[in-house]
Amino acid sequence: MSTARRLFFSALALALGSPAAPAADGPKHDLYLTANLGGQGGVLGRGGPALSGLYRSTDRTTFEHLGPHHIRMFTLTSDPAERGTLYVAALDGVLRTRDGGKSWRTLTGWDMTEPREIAFDPHAPGRLYAGLPDGIALSTDRGQTWRRSHEGIRRAYTHALIVDRTTAGRLLAGTEQGIYLSEDGARSWRLVQATEKVTYDIKQSPHDPRVFLAATSSSGALQSTDGGRTWVRIAGISAANTLHQVDFDAHEPERLLVCGWNTGLQLSEDGGRTWTDRSVGLPNRDVWSAAFDPDTPGRIFAAPQQAPLFGSDDHGRTWRAVQFDKATVFDLVFLPRS
Amino acid sequence: MKSLSFLLLLAGLVPSGLLSAQPSFSGPAPVPGVVDEAAVRRAAYLARRTEVLQWRVGLVKTGEPATFGLGEIAAKLALRQDAEACSARLIELMQKPSGDMFWMFPVTCISYLGRDQLTPAAKAAVREAWRTYFPLRGDTENHWTMYYTTLYLMAQLWPDEPGERWFNGKSSAEIAAESRAWLLQWMDLTTTVGQGEYDCTHYLGEYSIPMLYLATWAKDPAMRQRGHMMLDYVLADYTVETLNGIYVGSHARTDDVTVLEKWNGLSSFFGWLMLGNCPPPNGYGGWGFFFAVVADNYELPEVIYRIGTDRSGTYTHYERKRTRHRWRNSDVRNAPVYKTTYVTSDYALGSDQGGLLQPIQQHSWDLTWAVPDPRGVHNTIFSTQPFYGAEELMMYFTEMPDSMPAAVTFQGKPTYIAESKLLGGSPYEQIFQRDDTLISLTNVADTAPHKQVNGFFSKDLANLDEDKSGWIFAQGGKTYLAYRPLAAYEWRPIEKGGKRLYSPHAKNGTILQAAAASEFKSWEDFKARIRALPLEVKLEPVPRVAFTSLRGKKIECAYGSAPRVDGRTIDYAKEWKLFSGPYLNAEVGSRKLTMTHGRLTRVLDFNTLTITDAVRP
Repeated sequence: MSTARRLFFSALALALGSPAAPAADGPKHDLYLTANLGGQGGVLGRGGPALSGLYRSTDRTTFEHLGPHHIRMFTLTSDPAERGTLYVAALDGVLRTRDGGKSWRTLTGWDMTEPREIAFDPHAPGRLYAGLPDGIALSTDRGQTWRRSHEGIRRAYTHALIVDRTTAGRLLAGTEQGIYLSEDGARSWRLVQATEKVTYDIKQSPHDPRVFLAATSSSGALQSTDGGRTWVRIAGISAANTLHQVDFDAHEPERLLVCGWNTGLQLSEDGGRTWTDRSVGLPNRDVWSAAFDPDTPGRIFAAPQQAPLFGSDDHGRTWRAVQFDKATVFDLVFLPRS
Repeated sequence: MKSLSFLLLLAGLVPSGLLSAQPSFSGPAPVPGVVDEAAVRRAAYLARRTEVLQWRVGLVKTGEPATFGLGEIAAKLALRQDAEACSARLIELMQKPSGDMFWMFPVTCISYLGRDQLTPAAKAAVREAWRTYFPLRGDTENHWTMYYTTLYLMAQLWPDEPGERWFNGKSSAEIAAESRAWLLQWMDLTTTVGQGEYDCTHYLGEYSIPMLYLATWAKDPAMRQRGHMMLDYVLADYTVETLNGIYVGSHARTDDVTVLEKWNGLSSFFGWLMLGNCPPPNGYGGWGFFFAVVADNYELPEVIYRIGTDRSGTYTHYERKRTRHRWRNSDVRNAPVYKTTYVTSDYALGSDQGGLLQPIQQHSWDLTWAVPDPRGVHNTIFSTQPFYGAEELMMYFTEMPDSMPAAVTFQGKPTYIAESKLLGGSPYEQIFQRDDTLISLTNVADTAPHKQVNGFFSKDLANLDEDKSGWIFAQGGKTYLAYRPLAAYEWRPIEKGGKRLYSPHAKNGTILQAAAASEFKSWEDFKARIRALPLEVKLEPVPRVAFTSLRGKKIECAYGSAPRVDGRTIDYAKEWKLFSGPYLNAEVGSRKLTMTHGRLTRVLDFNTLTITDAVRP
């Protein structure tokens, strides 16, 4: 390629916003999906040719199914001390696999069902939280035993949980009626932001630990710059729609995304002051989940309703179908490679 | 989410050929009545069981493996036939398990029936399937009952095994303990504040079958006794609200077919099998088969049999149930449900208090009239306020809000969002019943998806007469009906027959007064009597009715206020017991049900795990 041509493409790439360039030493994270491939008619008790449940991709192009066919796996995490051990929040409770999905153990009993979020405490090895439809559960032994820990939360439905990675004992919970903060390891909680309906996602900035984003069902997208103590609504994101997820770009502190129902994928390049619709090319504007790829600048994955998983290498300007024909992808999670 | 359409399940698990040799389904309808002789009753019951097994065995066609499924294997094992063939086929079927808890209980049944019949290889195939196949626990009470009952029994069958031998990584001991704990708390909840998924025209089977399995196969005598007692409990709960085997009145869950053709549900299989007073549904209700295979291990207590079959007198039965678990949009986990059911030999009227008591498939009230043969007959009249929405679904499920209403229509509940729907509860409806008089008031918010009242008028009604007085008179069987819409209406056709009273007014309601034709000299006499009943209706600012019923009770209802009868304010919370009436009685929190009929009494005491029978001299 001639120098002039290289310069031309470099300029074009800059104009299009830093096209994807894989890290020189390969991805440091694996991409996991929790997906239901049963279609809108997919219900309990019914099998089918497509395997639902947990998928993993190590190269962002091919995906392998891990573990059982399961139509209601919602999200997952891994143990910071044992990166190969996965913990999945599923209909049946918290599930764990230590061998890449070959065998599983249901860590919870009959008194815990349908966890929607699961989070390890990076400050305390073995300390694990689960957000439940009837509160918050805490385990201090990697899920072997659990106890309830949502004192102070009025309506305890909990869909989002995040542990502050910089301060021991601090965590935020997205509940039915708002965002709650605990500063004593979930022993007590106080409401820091009321919402009319559920807060579905909370994320902490990888660049500035004081910055958090939240996605809600009726109060739009919220932002905190003081570690979750106070929150403001982000202008430019409608509160009329249910927002499912938010994310921070690990490569650019000011770049954020929000996705949700009738929202498509909205991208901000200036820390949330202005937003651009990056849904053109997606088959619909009902996006269950979306995330920046932490290993590849410019790359975003998004999961529209009953559609393939889509990927973009240019911050959502163009999209390509990556995996599945029709899926509900409850969550897209990048976990450090073990 | 939730839950599975049983129709889909039947399509998956019941082989083709359902119509082959079902003599009781295709033959004459039984004549309802009471069989006094215990031996005769028992013989007829066992003959009906045998009919089911023989039908199922007859579905197997040589050279067509698809006709030889889990049900057929269970039937053959129950009849102690073809153990070798059953074993071979079972090994094949264990290669591709599916169906979650609906797979678990047939396989549990086969495992126990086949303990001394299946080959070691077949047993090993079953054992391996419980290691490699991960059945889901589900999200409803019936799912969990099946799941934990079968896990309890399979852990008992394979004790002392480590977690590596089970799909969920738990040891046999852990599984047994967890299953037992859930079953005990479910029984405790049910016998103290009521069942959550109560009085379902289909799911009666999903409770009866696991309880029968516990009563039959649990080694622990206490669990065996609990299973037996709970089976008595749910069947007594059913029979007291039946009319010739048909489950009447308010249901936590029914479906688009059964809500009109009241007989056509799995519950009627139990009416046929236990009471012998109605035909069985096609395919014996599908899952009913899995009760039949073990049914010889159960005998319906005479007192329950008589409660279910004696309609010589009129009675009012009251019950308290509870909603299923509420996750959002509620300050209580389980709200109380207050039921009233009035039963005569000609008709039954039953209701709850209205509101969103269950998701999607709630049926709040209806009148059912007796017919000689219920097959194909829509022997019911009722009204609904058609409602759907994320609020309801978020309350009872943990799903995300926006996708779910449409998704429900793909999941065996096709009418969920339709304005013409006749199924489901509404937060804008309040209902009160006294005897055979019912008043439903609606006050629908502007934000509601549909504003109207839908009244169901069956193709099988006779003498439909829109009277100038504002009453609509009709006759169903030997029952005279007076239906009063509180606002203007028009008629719309119903695809399955009959017509829909469409009354598109947010402040609205229905009054229904029923009576036996035999109470009147003539049809004209009935109409004149109804016209003469004192009635005041106001729709502003909220719907309000003052009506003196045929039974002489002055009933006053105002939307948002407690109803009054003869000047006395009704306090549901204080007045409704777990059960009360002439036949079933239980206090809230008591864990003790007293069943009475004539001189017979049976007391189920879950505090002491005792069953006490008494006969008054």
